[in-house]
Amino acid sequence: MTTPGAGPPLGLRPVEVVRTAEGPPPRGGEAGKGLAVVAGDSLETGPRAEPAPWATPPEGAAPRLLRRGGGGAPFGFLPLAVVAVAFLTLPLLALLVRAPWRDLPGDLAAPGVLTALRLSLVCSLGALGLSLLFGVPLAWLLARVRFPGRNLVRALVLLPMVLPPVVGGVALLLAFGRHGLAGQWLDRAFGITLPFSTAGAMLAETFVAMPFLIITVEAGIRGMDRRYEDAAATLRAGPWTTFRRVTLPLIAPALAAGGALCWARALGEFGATITFAGNLPGTTQTMPLAVYLALENNTGAAITLSLVMLAISLAVLVGLRSRWFPSR
Amino acid sequence: MSLDAVVGLRKGTLDLDVELRVASNGVVVLLGPNAAGKTTFLRALAGLVPLERGRIVLDGVVLDDPAAGVRMPTEKRPIGVVFQDYLLFPHLTVLENVAFGPRSSGFARAAARKRALAQLERVGLVDVAAEKPRALSGGQAQRVALARALATDPRLLLLDEPLAAMDAGARAELRRGLSRHLAAFPGMCLVITHDPIEAMTLGDRLVVLEAGRVVQAGTPEELSAHPRSRYVADLLGLNLYRGRAEQRSVVLENGRHLVVADPVPESGDVFAVISPRAVALHRVFPEGSPRNVWEGAVGDLDVIGNHVRAHVSGVLPIIAEVTPGAVASLHLDDGGPVFVAVKAVEIEVYEA
Repeated sequence: MTTPGAGPPLGLRPVEVVRTAEGPPPRGGEAGKGLAVVAGDSLETGPRAEPAPWATPPEGAAPRLLRRGGGGAPFGFLPLAVVAVAFLTLPLLALLVRAPWRDLPGDLAAPGVLTALRLSLVCSLGALGLSLLFGVPLAWLLARVRFPGRNLVRALVLLPMVLPPVVGGVALLLAFGRHGLAGQWLDRAFGITLPFSTAGAMLAETFVAMPFLIITVEAGIRGMDRRYEDAAATLRAGPWTTFRRVTLPLIAPALAAGGALCWARALGEFGATITFAGNLPGTTQTMPLAVYLALENNTGAAITLSLVMLAISLAVLVGLRSRWFPSR
Repeated sequence: MSLDAVVGLRKGTLDLDVELRVASNGVVVLLGPNAAGKTTFLRALAGLVPLERGRIVLDGVVLDDPAAGVRMPTEKRPIGVVFQDYLLFPHLTVLENVAFGPRSSGFARAAARKRALAQLERVGLVDVAAEKPRALSGGQAQRVALARALATDPRLLLLDEPLAAMDAGARAELRRGLSRHLAAFPGMCLVITHDPIEAMTLGDRLVVLEAGRVVQAGTPEELSAHPRSRYVADLLGLNLYRGRAEQRSVVLENGRHLVVADPVPESGDVFAVISPRAVALHRVFPEGSPRNVWEGAVGDLDVIGNHVRAHVSGVLPIIAEVTPGAVASLHLDDGGPVFVAVKAVEIEVYEA
């Protein structure tokens, strides 16, 4: 119920007053007119002669572009940001600019390249498989079961994420090498030697990549509504059925993201692979290792392989963009 | 067909200690204010919350007995639950949701779907069988949740505030539908609600829970006639006081006494009930027949249909029901002091 005719004065908003009891109208005001007065506003009821002091920007203020939110960018941020962008994108640009585009098909067909590619795919997908098989149950336990030492276990299994990969490789040698803690037993009991084998390369990649899967899936499991699992239980579903038909579908996005991250990391692993598995063409020479080697004598092949890996990285980034960078 | 539940557990600040015995089919309504423990009790029956002490026996089968170390997991209990938010699986269609129970029980996919369709037919929702839950309206979702719970042929059906998410318009019709389905259900039902109309219409028996304890149990008629707690009285819109009987009056906790007409129990704790309609308000001290007159101050006014409920504060807070005309002529909406007058014959007294 606003006064007809005049628009609302600056600072005052017309509001329909809801009364809970019939009775005499409020004293001191017109019947039916409700006006909410915002604290601090003036009680004038006419339009101002000149605009309010806060409505016009001070002289010499920065251009509109930077003052969208009402406050400008802190001094110097813009040039620093530009430097950051240049620094991070220049190497990628250089890769694209200096790529021997005409020789690309030939370079790709070179024998070593395809072998490295095939090996990379085999090892990285194997690493993904192992990570899923062992990582998902662990993620579930970390998210759901309050066992003593849980925080410590979580910190330990996430350590390979921040550990320098070469260090990881050395540690793997000491664990699984021929004289390693577990390795000597593997050798004696089964005759299995892991270092400098394809399985070893797969293991090295799993070591560095599994934590990415674990952390993403654990977050996904924590974030899901557990009441759906309660509902499933009341519908006669045991733990395994509940996990298969309710939990997994609900964490599918987190699982996919974790899997993509894990695979990409495994694909790009260099330090642990070369230390533990060596650089044997056809056996353990995955793409990153091949690039390293090719740099010395066949730069074209090195760049080609780099481009392939760049394309894969971009694909992963694009695929996960809605998860990492939700648009507002 | 019987339920014998003694539930004792502690959860956060809640100390739940409830005994519920149901000897026949029918609907038991669990009523109470927020945080009284109603949902926790329901979850304990369902096996979603462990008992610390007590015992739950359904149809002679022990579901939970911490002392004996027996705890049947939820998925083995012959129960069905309709949750407050329904919790329909968002990644499955309506049909797959309803068929979930039968499939988990071991039915083959085709047989499970047949059973699901039969249930959906009973709630009149066959035409949305292929939809996903997000496409359903609130009322449809509620009926699907009911169908899903019934598809497993439970012995005990638990409903947690089944109509809470509805808007007032849809609620009445859904309540009637729910009443029909519950009446047709061969097993036992336990319905949690905080809505008095739902409680009175759905329940054969009412159990009132407050702060983890049962404060009153009985038929809707018994509760209406003799409320035993402020919560129930408020639910029914009555003024309830507790005091000590003394000859022809009731002495209340704060020392005031109410003069009553009917004989009171010899001595001991009693409840005194005054309907808001029996309360008169005056701006000047009334010289007249009412035996109970005291001073107070008018506070909030609630308009309910053609009546106005005035909350009067003071030594003895009370709610009076008057007409809008009375509010106008007495300027009650300005607040201020009033005199409350209640006739002795209007006060009902019964043992606490």
